[in-house]
Amino acid sequence: MSEEVTAPMSGSIWKIHVKVGDKVNYEDELVILEALKMENPIYAPADGTVSEIKVSENDQVEANQVLIVLD
Amino acid sequence: MPRKQTPLRPYFEKMAGIGKELSEGEIRRSKNNVDLIREQEEILAREIDRVNNAGVPAEKIHARGGMTVYDRLEYLVDAGTWNPLHTLYNPRDNEEGCTGVVDGLGKIEGRWAVIIGFDNKVMAGAWIAGQAENILMVTDLAKRLNVPLVWLTNCSGVKLMEQESVYAGRRSSGAPFFRHAELNRLGIPILNAIYGTNPAGGGYQGISPTILLAHEGANIAVGGAGIVGGMSPRGHVDEEGARALIDAARDFKAKPPGRVETHFDKTAYFREVHETEQGVLDGIKDYMRMMPAYDPAMFRVAEPAEPKFPAEDLNLILPANQKRPYDAIQLLARLTDNSEFMEYRPDYGPEVFTGIAKIDGFPLAFIGNRQGVFPDYPEYAEGTYPGVGGKHYRQGLIKQGEFVTLCGRDNLPIVWLQDTTGIDVGDLAEEAELLALGQALAYSIEQTDLSMMCIVLRKGTAAAHYIMGGPQANNNNAFTLGTPLSEINVMHGETAAAASYARRLVKEAEAGRDITPVVDKMNRMIQDYQDKSHPAYCAMNGFVDEIASLTDLRNYIQAFAGANYQNPRSITPVHQMLLPRIIKG
Repeated sequence: MSEEVTAPMSGSIWKIHVKVGDKVNYEDELVILEALKMENPIYAPADGTVSEIKVSENDQVEANQVLIVLD
Repeated sequence: MPRKQTPLRPYFEKMAGIGKELSEGEIRRSKNNVDLIREQEEILAREIDRVNNAGVPAEKIHARGGMTVYDRLEYLVDAGTWNPLHTLYNPRDNEEGCTGVVDGLGKIEGRWAVIIGFDNKVMAGAWIAGQAENILMVTDLAKRLNVPLVWLTNCSGVKLMEQESVYAGRRSSGAPFFRHAELNRLGIPILNAIYGTNPAGGGYQGISPTILLAHEGANIAVGGAGIVGGMSPRGHVDEEGARALIDAARDFKAKPPGRVETHFDKTAYFREVHETEQGVLDGIKDYMRMMPAYDPAMFRVAEPAEPKFPAEDLNLILPANQKRPYDAIQLLARLTDNSEFMEYRPDYGPEVFTGIAKIDGFPLAFIGNRQGVFPDYPEYAEGTYPGVGGKHYRQGLIKQGEFVTLCGRDNLPIVWLQDTTGIDVGDLAEEAELLALGQALAYSIEQTDLSMMCIVLRKGTAAAHYIMGGPQANNNNAFTLGTPLSEINVMHGETAAAASYARRLVKEAEAGRDITPVVDKMNRMIQDYQDKSHPAYCAMNGFVDEIASLTDLRNYIQAFAGANYQNPRSITPVHQMLLPRIIKG
């Protein structure tokens, strides 16, 4: 069952720490979203493997936009 | 069988629990954060080591059979109660690298005192640049907390080569004598352990406290015996004059005036004289047992308890990266008794938390910034922008002003936990009256007669640093702590560089000129801001009174609570407090 990781708010993707195929643990930091002069880390909601990365660094994203898919 | 209890037990015995254990993921992710904090702590430790070793080596004092000021403090202060202040303070950047006095809050014989001693390794405790300001902060602290001031006097007087930097001026080295007089007038005793030769300024340092205890080799006098040549009528020294001075100094055998034979045997200024250095300190301990101090049970609202969660967690919770948000309530849960907190108006002004907690069973108020993002807030922005943690908005400012006023009414000392980037700006913020509400908070603070301590956890920025109980609240702020992550400046360096050079950049660009020189200037400015905002710089320049490790913060808060409740000038009967009732509704 896949799990979608979404942006909690609109902002700019500053860093992506993972690549497709990486195994991640629950609460690992996957992405840093820069918004309102803050770095907002986005964590893995569960253990899994990165199956898809839907954004690139410096992309502007909206709240609830899917950033990463975990299997 | 009598039945006993603490007051308002239904409110205070068991308050709402806050915080939770850190998850494995949080611990794993934050290991690097611990390393970054350790790095800063090591920088600070090296600076502290430098100050501790200022002047002649301790071994030299020991070889003469003497004690250094640090030995005296160790002997005098109850083990585990010393909370140093002003360790790195050196606002004039003098060549000694310190102010020549060592001070802090500690217990002697179970009673809190503000304790200060001349560092007899540094020019035999001379008046040096920056020292007077340090002493004034210390006398202000004793006044604020209403606890005894204990002096370890060993003062050779003015460093004559630099008299212009210490002698004259409104806040110069003479001002402490008036502060001592003021403390005496207010009924705050000053105990003085006197060692060594204390002429002139040292003499007044010796005589101005309340109770004088001397070592048998000590003396205090209007002037020393060392002025052998008097004033040269020629206005300069030639070789003939220098040779005459050599002869006079060689034959000079006079003992210094103001010895024990005079000030114990004849004038009886000294209450006691002791053959040993330790004996004088034992005498101070005897007097400390006579000092007014309530039993803590008088003011406790519950039995003391440790926080539920370990203090070491603080190094995992507070991010070294200033741009990272965190859960401020998790931090608070590592500071308060049993990790409990009675929050005032949690649904209003979400960018700050206000409420009552217990420290060693004493009730204290806490106010701090929350971090993160607050959607649909502030209400006056009507969705045009969200609230950001660390900033202050209308509701938060009103809430703080109300809370401080109620704390004043209930006599609750306040601990401020600052991590603030400022007050919201712009036309909407002005219409929302933030300028006046910021000043209204300053007014609320001044209207109380409360002690406050301020901890700048990370950022202390713009006017928000002032209005959150910062050191500028001269009459209320007892002391301010920084942490290894503190950064205090009017605004972030990048913001300042943009504000300073934006127009210049436009001009250069429109004229078709190379903008690199302006960009270089901006980067130099950013670097300069960083160099002048870091923790050691803040401590040296008195932006804070001490930099404390995160794991030591509770010790300082305990000292603050204990000292405030030792002998308060004003008392609110606990069962007549309003705040707990207002919070309950």
